[in-house]
Amino acid sequence: MMACLELKNIRFSYGGAQSVKDFSLSAGKGGLTGLIGPNGAGKSTVLKLACGILKPAGGEIKLFGKDLKDYPPKERAKLVSYLPQLIDVNIPFTVRELIGIGLYPRDAKASPHETDEAMEAVGLRGKRDSPVMELSAGERRRAFIAMSLVQGSSLLLLDEPLANLDLKYQIGLVRLLRKIIEERGISVVMALHDINTAFSLHSVCVIKDGCMYAHGAPRQTITKDVLKEVFEVDWENFPTPAAP
Amino acid sequence: MKKNIVLMIIAVSAATLFSLFAGRNFINPFSLDDISGKILFSVRLPRVLTSLLVGSALGTSGAVLQGVLRNPLADPYILGISSGAALFAGAGLIIGSAFLGPLTVPLLAFAGACLTCAIVGVLGYRRGILLPERLLLAGLGLGFLFTAILMLIMSLSSAYGTRRALLWIFGDLSMSDWSLIPYGFLLAGSGLTLAIARRKGLNALILGDEVAFSLGFSPSRERLLLFASVSLMTATAISLGGVVGFVGLLIPHIVRFLAGSDAKVLLPLSAISGAGILVIADTVGRTVVFPSELPAGVITSIVGAPYFLYLLRKKSMLGMR
Repeated sequence: MMACLELKNIRFSYGGAQSVKDFSLSAGKGGLTGLIGPNGAGKSTVLKLACGILKPAGGEIKLFGKDLKDYPPKERAKLVSYLPQLIDVNIPFTVRELIGIGLYPRDAKASPHETDEAMEAVGLRGKRDSPVMELSAGERRRAFIAMSLVQGSSLLLLDEPLANLDLKYQIGLVRLLRKIIEERGISVVMALHDINTAFSLHSVCVIKDGCMYAHGAPRQTITKDVLKEVFEVDWENFPTPAAP
Repeated sequence: MKKNIVLMIIAVSAATLFSLFAGRNFINPFSLDDISGKILFSVRLPRVLTSLLVGSALGTSGAVLQGVLRNPLADPYILGISSGAALFAGAGLIIGSAFLGPLTVPLLAFAGACLTCAIVGVLGYRRGILLPERLLLAGLGLGFLFTAILMLIMSLSSAYGTRRALLWIFGDLSMSDWSLIPYGFLLAGSGLTLAIARRKGLNALILGDEVAFSLGFSPSRERLLLFASVSLMTATAISLGGVVGFVGLLIPHIVRFLAGSDAKVLLPLSAISGAGILVIADTVGRTVVFPSELPAGVITSIVGAPYFLYLLRKKSMLGMR
């Protein structure tokens, strides 16, 4: 199966020390991949590199088998979208207006029904005319995810979409992502901090100091030793996670 | 939504017609004689056209700038453009030089506005990117400097020149004549067309550079084009009508409240309602305290600000709950 995203030996620095070193990752189609690692490990940098916001100093980034650099911006936008952790919107766009912005990279005749479908998919149909800035943190994340969905993105890169959400919204959002992945065959790569949630993903990638530390199915990858090495946390009784 | 838009257009057209015929003497459009025809064509019409032009340029500039700077409190003057224009025009009025006849003040104002835009643009540039925060701070700093120099000149000058300069700064349309209107329409029209052409980029920039990039836009390119369009519109508006307050800051908020925030709707409607409010304000300004005149800029704020406060009280605006 062709990987939708492939990073090979990526190097990047913000000007000082290298923040991503020789990093490789491959994400398959239809998967929910988590990037975990301590603060400053390079999770956000990897996501920004993967969608082209940052340009790598070396290495190769392939999107659906083709070099990321070779995509015209509009074509790229139809395949991959990136959502930062915090999006300040201080102009009162309504949910419908916001999701409509997602149609821009698409050809002129993208159907307005898609906006409705996307709102339905994230459960915001009842809020279509509410200003985005008046939504709760969880609803706001969902509105932006709907915007990425109408963009046509087959690959969603989400930077800590679960941050600031309470338990109910966290679980709700992960379920929503799984549902969308199943229905639409898209792939999601997201940075996250919650180890328990990481167990419910298809695969995880552990980053430490800009390097890939471990990669694979959550149960095999997130072990007591990895947590100790990467997060410097000693768990005497590391909980066996329940199946999600 | 649609109903609001249609109502807005009808209201502005009605105001424009009324403004043409109302004034020192009410002109009956159905029984025009030579004199009233002349007044209508050479006094009222250029003045009404200037109001429409200035109002629409300011309304649109405000809507664009609030998005580009991602700041709902931005107005066309926040980048110091008005201070630069006021300094040049004010200095011209006070020193009393009229080397270009009636075109002196508008041309000086235009030169001042363009110079300010250029300086702010250069200061706002860093590593090949026009940064909103830098633009804002550069504009504020430059604005203070220019205002201070103008005040210095004013405090050292004669009473007559100062009063003329003050009137101009408050937004004065009484100097409108035909000679500048074609250029005004050309310049402000280009700015408006450019802004409307980049409406999608404007919406995307509001969501931040990273999201705009992810949507397939080049954030710095979009920002540069929109900045150019605002500069064109604001410089034109100031040179034709002086520093008219309120329109650029509050019209976009009123439009968002009535018709939505999508730039596709916001930009044309800000132009239409900005034009409308200024025509009304100018009509009031030249009729209520006859034979004297009130500057339109004063009326827009006196009438507009309470309406804005009423809307604010009625429903959430500016993102406040």
